[in-house]
Amino acid sequence: MEFEAVIGLEIHVELNCRTKLFCDCPNNPGDEPNANTCPVCLWFPGAVPRLSQEALEKAVLLCMGLGAQLQPRSAFDQKVYYYPDLPKGYQLSQAHLPLSRGGGIDIMDENGKMQRLRIHHIHMEEDVAKLVHEMEGRQPISLVDFNRAGAPLVEIVTEPDFRTPYQAMEFLKALRTQVRYVGASECSMENGTMRADANISIRPRGSNEMNTKVEVKNMNSIRHVGDAIAFEITRQTAAVHDGKPVILHTRLWDPDKKVTTAMRGKFEGPCVPDPMVPVIELSSDWIEKMRSRLPEMPAVRAARFVSRHGLTGEEAAFLSADPDVAGYFEELMSEGIAPRMALHWLTTQLLPALKERKQEVSASRVTSQRFGALLKMLSRDEINANAARETLTCMFENDDSPEVIVGARGFRQVSDVAALESLIEKVLGEQTEAVTDFHSGQGKAMGFLIGQVMKASGGKANPKMIRELLAAKLS
Amino acid sequence: MDSIFFHRHFEETVLPDGILKGLKIAIQPNISVAGWPTEAGSGALTGFRALEDATLYRLIREAGAYVCGSTRMSEFGFGLTGSRAGKALISQEADVELVLDMTGESRLAAAGASVCGLKPSWGLVSHLGLIGLIPSMECCGIISENINNIRIILKSVAGPDERDFSMPDEEIPDFEPKGVDPAKIAVGILTEVQDALPSTEQNLFRREVDDLKKQGIPIRELSLPDFPLFMAVHQVVGSVEASSAAGRYDSVRYGRRAAGSKNWNEMYLASRGAAFGPLLKSYLFQGAYFQFQNYRAYEDACRLRARLCQQMEKLFTETDFLLFPAFRRGLSEKSLSLADTYAQFAETAFANVAGCPAFYIPPVAEERVGIQLAGPRRSDGRLLNFGEYTQNLRRGGH
Repeated sequence: MEFEAVIGLEIHVELNCRTKLFCDCPNNPGDEPNANTCPVCLWFPGAVPRLSQEALEKAVLLCMGLGAQLQPRSAFDQKVYYYPDLPKGYQLSQAHLPLSRGGGIDIMDENGKMQRLRIHHIHMEEDVAKLVHEMEGRQPISLVDFNRAGAPLVEIVTEPDFRTPYQAMEFLKALRTQVRYVGASECSMENGTMRADANISIRPRGSNEMNTKVEVKNMNSIRHVGDAIAFEITRQTAAVHDGKPVILHTRLWDPDKKVTTAMRGKFEGPCVPDPMVPVIELSSDWIEKMRSRLPEMPAVRAARFVSRHGLTGEEAAFLSADPDVAGYFEELMSEGIAPRMALHWLTTQLLPALKERKQEVSASRVTSQRFGALLKMLSRDEINANAARETLTCMFENDDSPEVIVGARGFRQVSDVAALESLIEKVLGEQTEAVTDFHSGQGKAMGFLIGQVMKASGGKANPKMIRELLAAKLS
Repeated sequence: MDSIFFHRHFEETVLPDGILKGLKIAIQPNISVAGWPTEAGSGALTGFRALEDATLYRLIREAGAYVCGSTRMSEFGFGLTGSRAGKALISQEADVELVLDMTGESRLAAAGASVCGLKPSWGLVSHLGLIGLIPSMECCGIISENINNIRIILKSVAGPDERDFSMPDEEIPDFEPKGVDPAKIAVGILTEVQDALPSTEQNLFRREVDDLKKQGIPIRELSLPDFPLFMAVHQVVGSVEASSAAGRYDSVRYGRRAAGSKNWNEMYLASRGAAFGPLLKSYLFQGAYFQFQNYRAYEDACRLRARLCQQMEKLFTETDFLLFPAFRRGLSEKSLSLADTYAQFAETAFANVAGCPAFYIPPVAEERVGIQLAGPRRSDGRLLNFGEYTQNLRRGGH
């Protein structure tokens, strides 16, 4: 019998707010352990939680970016369970009345078909503390770091619409792009600001049954999510073939051995409305005000890049994936740079140069104005491509305008007819053999002569003009 | 001798001038005062010292009150077992006591000391720094022989706190003392409440009602057939909230840690097992039962609570105040079972469920009993004025 997988994702996104969700402690989990704590996030007796306005706004923007329907009333519940990273015994989470319902992301599946993957709901919750296990001499010790306790999280729970690991990976990539766009989170699985758990079950292909699912955790890259799901599908399929039942439990992905291992029975504690955090009521006026803060989303931007600037769908999708890169491209457009030239120089020169220098496009000293000025000189034939590349290297080292750099370094292209003609005379006098070859019909002799003239000019000659002048001279 | 005070504080600083200047107030060790031992009567908080002042404490201090210490309390303020609330008034060591009220504790403490006691409207006073058990029902009661003391304390602590968002955004009552025109006041008593009393208590309460009627206060009988459900709702919702709240007081990060455990999960379990007293344990088990085994009953109780609140609101459109008995029964020093504890609060728990203010007025003579008045939410000022008028009448009329 052939099986297919039914997969749903639960994705935690840590919002990049200045403070934690219910107190004013800095939201910097990486600081000195337990530096960012107060009676609220340590849950000391007498503390009263206060919902952060910034967290609510960022969560709302995130929901809007994913096309979700914001709920006029949402509320926090106590998700009751105990673990040493949650010593107060419950986590504040929106279990019964989530912030939004619905929404989804369109992806291109492995067969090149557009597919909508639906979101069931999105809710806010607080993060738990971090456990650190160390050795003190020969004695194993366990420590609790509360810097992360109370950090603002959003959980995105999808419908079980996924059938393949590929779809899950594409969904996560698109989700990451969308959330970065609204500015709510960096969404880095490597740094733990995005964590994805997968619920996987299998069934005979074509049937509608929903079988016992297994939850897989601990994947710290999008690739690992794909690998873990693929492994789990194979494991469950083999188990069913062997007549073993699939039982509800949680498994951990081991990235080194590339296997999942059983962790614990899945425990679902009760969720009780929290009596201290007030119900969140969103008025339609406020929602509209927030909507006006929503940037143009990547899919819309990509469509505009295609229609207005003539890019291909693939090029447009690439550019719009990163809001900073897309913004940079648009600034080049408003500087009047030709779209194809801008795309080419941005993707083949600037972005690799930034990556090599570990710089962000938004924080680089090569601003769109300076880069635009460089491309303008190139398009006006004031410099050639080689000189442009060299000038770009200099632009990373100082803040001079490209004009100044070109002038100071003598990169300016020689387009003066008289100067070029005298260079050509000189070269033709020296390279008599090549001139003979040319006249006997050897086409590559032309290229050689152009190269010699270029060399004589110190690399600054306008190659188009050399070709024209040489052709006239030799005819 | 078992002392009244859990912690004594002898003031050395000069107190600010304010409406509470000269007033000596005893609090309970569940109201946070930075640096004071704040154990809330529980082994789970052994050795815990509050890190910052409760808003309530800060406000009475700013108004000039002298806080002379905290009195011994029942575990987390639930019930009266182990509580010395009211005793500092009897021994004249304080003019006013602040007593947490989640089932009626402050009103029965007032009854024990034969003084007046107000449980304010829920949400009128900040919860910040209050170590509680049932957040949606409890608030700090104020007990004193002098009604004006209660009035000026409530006036100094009532109002929004930007650090407690749980407070509803509602109007603050007017606390100015005002005369009462009995011709314009309507008072009701509930048939179901009277019917549930044993006959001796029925007669005692009936005498108080008749006495007030004779003094010219119009009292008529009203009906609220669902009244017994107040206690049922309290038992379910209260214990569920307590189960979470007490879970927070883990007794590990402060307090005692149980020794000899193999790992920290065992250590947590053992510490909690050792931390709580028998009454609280049975209360928490009850809450855990509804959380884990019978969540449906909890949801039903929440719906019932909303319905009961509506019914109370409707009653208060027909009458200004409701008159209740408030018998202090079955009090002994030994610890009580959960069922006995609930029985003590049969006539007081309704106000905690509905969040409305309730005011205990002590008996005016031997062989007479105290009474309890309740008003709609945020009627605290009017309730105090009417209570004061009633008490004067009763005294004069005797």
